[in-house]
Amino acid sequence: GFALAPGHSTEAPAAQATAQAAAVPAAASGYAGTEACVGCHGDQAEHLEKTPHGRAGFSKLSSLGCESCHGPGNAHAEAPDDVALYPRIEKLSAAKQSATCQGCHSGGKQFFWHNGRHQARGLSCISCHSVHSPKSERAQLKQASATEQCFSCHKDVRAETWKTSHHPIREGKISCADCHNPHGTETPKMITAASVNDQCYSCHTEKRGPFLWEHPAVRESCLNCHSPHGSNHLKLQKTSVPYLCQQCHANTRHPGSLYDATTLGDGARASNRIFNRACLDCHSAIHGSNHPSSPYLGR
Amino acid sequence: AEGGDSGQGPFTFHLDPVAIEWLELDQDTNSSKFEEYRDLDSGLRIPLLVLKGVGANGDRTLDFTAENVWRDDARLGLDYALAGKYGLSLSYDKIPHRFGNDAKFLWNRTASGRFEIDDAVQRANQAALTAQFAANRTLIAFPFLNNLLAPQIASARSIDISLERERTRLDFDLGTLQGLSWDVSLFHEKRTGLRPFGAAFGFSNVNEIVEPIDYATTETTTRGEWAGKSGGVTLGLRSSTFDNGNSSLSWDNPFRAVDSTDPGASSAPGSGSINGSATGRVALAPDNRSTGFFVDGRWRFTSGWWANANASKTRMRQDEALLPYTSNSAINTRGGAPFDASDPANLPIRNADRKADVTNLSANVGGRFGEDFGLTFRFRSYDYQDDSRRVIFPGYVRFDSNWVSTGRITVPPAFKRTDLGTELNWDVTPSTGLALSWNRQTWDRELREVEKSDEDIWKISADSRAIKNVTLRASYETGDRSIDGYHPEAAEDSFTNPGPLVTQPGLRKFDEAARQYDAWRVSADFLFGEAWTFTLATNGRQDDYDQSQFGLISDEVRFVNLELSYVPGAASEVYLFGTRSDRSTFQRGRQSGATVSVNPLDNWQIDFDEVNDAWGLGWNRRYSERWKSEVEGRWSKSDGEAEIFSPPGGTPDLAIGFDNYEDIELLALKAKLDFTLNPRVGFGFWYLYEDYTIDSFIRQGVRNYLPGALLLNANDGDYRASLFAAYVRLSL
Repeated sequence: GFALAPGHSTEAPAAQATAQAAAVPAAASGYAGTEACVGCHGDQAEHLEKTPHGRAGFSKLSSLGCESCHGPGNAHAEAPDDVALYPRIEKLSAAKQSATCQGCHSGGKQFFWHNGRHQARGLSCISCHSVHSPKSERAQLKQASATEQCFSCHKDVRAETWKTSHHPIREGKISCADCHNPHGTETPKMITAASVNDQCYSCHTEKRGPFLWEHPAVRESCLNCHSPHGSNHLKLQKTSVPYLCQQCHANTRHPGSLYDATTLGDGARASNRIFNRACLDCHSAIHGSNHPSSPYLGR
Repeated sequence: AEGGDSGQGPFTFHLDPVAIEWLELDQDTNSSKFEEYRDLDSGLRIPLLVLKGVGANGDRTLDFTAENVWRDDARLGLDYALAGKYGLSLSYDKIPHRFGNDAKFLWNRTASGRFEIDDAVQRANQAALTAQFAANRTLIAFPFLNNLLAPQIASARSIDISLERERTRLDFDLGTLQGLSWDVSLFHEKRTGLRPFGAAFGFSNVNEIVEPIDYATTETTTRGEWAGKSGGVTLGLRSSTFDNGNSSLSWDNPFRAVDSTDPGASSAPGSGSINGSATGRVALAPDNRSTGFFVDGRWRFTSGWWANANASKTRMRQDEALLPYTSNSAINTRGGAPFDASDPANLPIRNADRKADVTNLSANVGGRFGEDFGLTFRFRSYDYQDDSRRVIFPGYVRFDSNWVSTGRITVPPAFKRTDLGTELNWDVTPSTGLALSWNRQTWDRELREVEKSDEDIWKISADSRAIKNVTLRASYETGDRSIDGYHPEAAEDSFTNPGPLVTQPGLRKFDEAARQYDAWRVSADFLFGEAWTFTLATNGRQDDYDQSQFGLISDEVRFVNLELSYVPGAASEVYLFGTRSDRSTFQRGRQSGATVSVNPLDNWQIDFDEVNDAWGLGWNRRYSERWKSEVEGRWSKSDGEAEIFSPPGGTPDLAIGFDNYEDIELLALKAKLDFTLNPRVGFGFWYLYEDYTIDSFIRQGVRNYLPGALLLNANDGDYRASLFAAYVRLSL
């Protein structure tokens, strides 16, 4: 069967593979050489030329060409019809597929791949990436964008982004990868920051504080009130105000009052506690306030 | 296009085919929604330009990318790299965020954080109120105020409300793809514009105004990494600063020209009072900074197991100068306060002096054992400690209207979340795997209703490719959160002398409350022959807060997803996808007057139901080497309903629900036809049609003026838009 080059199915960087290739004559090591590959797989080579792995700079990292990833192909070249000798990455186990890529790509965003959620569910690099025929401008993805790539599995999240209140995901201004690292992180849901709130603060720095007057539930998790993937309600609220607030606040007077159809903007008992921004009409500093007179987060 | 001289010069450039596009927009209303995060106005743009350069030796690359050139949503990128040595990446991205058009706005911006109303208008309104108060104060209600403001609203100016994010990012990688690498990144974001802001002078005088946005965020990260065959270490420093060009916002009271106060002023204007502040002032988001370091490590044992660890420490700091208690100069010793509340010298502290430390530790160990098993252990601790001192205020000013002599004390939050878990994987067969995991999530809090809670989460999942061309995935998860007790009095921790409880003792804040939940996910992917793929999936989750008498009681959501694609060859692709979700939320409350009601007849309950659909259909076709077309339709709809009930005899006595708990529909159709004239020239057309409607209870009947509220009432609602685009594509 097909076997990767020594040191290649493990974590050796490509530069190491280059050194091995230089030290061992091609025929003796079982390598056929890129020209032999292109002789039959011209269309693959043509596709590859348009990708980072096909650019001339790649040869500075590895002189093995196609066999940098596919391993020695001499046996396959000599018996091209023997299916068992096809050097197809797809034939390998998920772990070996990923190990092939991690021969070079083991640091940076891939640092925590091992024990990561996607790795644990049996995914490999080529579940999402295509070396030969990527559709994306960046990251060589199988879909046109990082977001579309994620949506190919996370279809419920795709539907969420079509709700009226949404981050600019479907407009292409941010992608799933702005908040999540699909290669694996040490945090739940593979977010890139240490916590959900730290993630949100990276763009919404004005809400970071710390404030003189804090809203404890806000400080603990933005997700207590917001659905980041999309919502039918203002500002990505999980439930619309004022009812969202009333899921935690049942104080005397207006916080515990019922707001029903008669209190809507055109209702007989129209109330500024329900229409427009509801509670936030007054409690505008809901994320925290620095005003001495704002224990109720209204200043 | 070939630049340089074919390898003799420094770079050889290749320009991907570039299109120059003319857009023609026809929109039936001036709703901001169509261009909420994008710029599709009539005019020229270059949707995408990609220029790739390669150095003479093939080891250097210089790439330039531009998207949506000449537009508010443009993005530019420049990448330079020496293969395997270093890389430099520079990008600039603009993100528009349009909130609403044609808002009616009585105020004029006279300084950065200052909105004024003509003094004569304020004086006239105050005089009218004073006269009416003297003649018959009971008539100072909505009709009177509406008549008073109507001519001013009619002549008010119209403004569009939006802001723009401009993001610049610089990344420098040294040692790219090498064992030892360094990375420095610099991120700067400027946010400018306006966004809606709630500003009130009292319970009956809500002003919705705009917040002037002048935010700057600067973040730097420096990172060094060693990634070897069996291990790796990353060390890094991160710093982020936020600067707000407007530390406060002042706005004039439409009804008052001169500061005044009385105990009932926070309900003015009305039959009880016409007093209050001539100008309101709020504290806007304070300047703040966050600095910290992080360490990542991983190690591969000889057994093939991996251990990963991460530690980070961050300090968040904020020391903005505090505003005085109020902008109302009448609130002093003669106006019910123990001192001049408009003088910052009377504050107990002059600056916020807030700081919080976040300590994050996490680790996991995992690997394979035996022939078919894998095991992973996980630990994580996230510790947030706000060490700021608790500050006592002898009272506060409500809405800049009147002094409230109730002592308050700040409540700096502190909590620690700990996760401990393990996951066992079993390869039942080479193509079928099972996983069982357990996780215990523990919260330790200070100064909240629940000081300690434990949640045990069990999950079982299975993946199988045992059937040819079929992939099956399923998982079931259940969680049980128990608490060590619920202390409602913690809600009064910000009072220096808490009185009787003013909240329902049976209320359980859902983020802390005891709960049980179940979540499940099942999906099946089918591949029929070479051309057909079909996916059917369902997932859902149900949360029950059985110990909660009031507040959120249950929350349930179910999704059904399907996807079908037919790709008979390289020339054609047909696809269909869709999701339907149904969410039900149930909550209960009890209405009280001045004291906490104990009467069950004062109860009310709401059952929210939201059904959401999101469907898409597309067909891409290449007819020949020259002609190709793309057609896509998307439709999404939400249909929400609020069923409200209150038993008769109490307060409220009768409750009426509504069926527009955010009913929203969006239909988007796009068609594109592309023709390649010759290898250098092509052209084409595309057409986009969108129809958006929204029927929301929260906007129902909203206009200027409404009882107790002067609103922006901007246009961000229904629209029907047709966008026609023609382009020429050139290969230079």
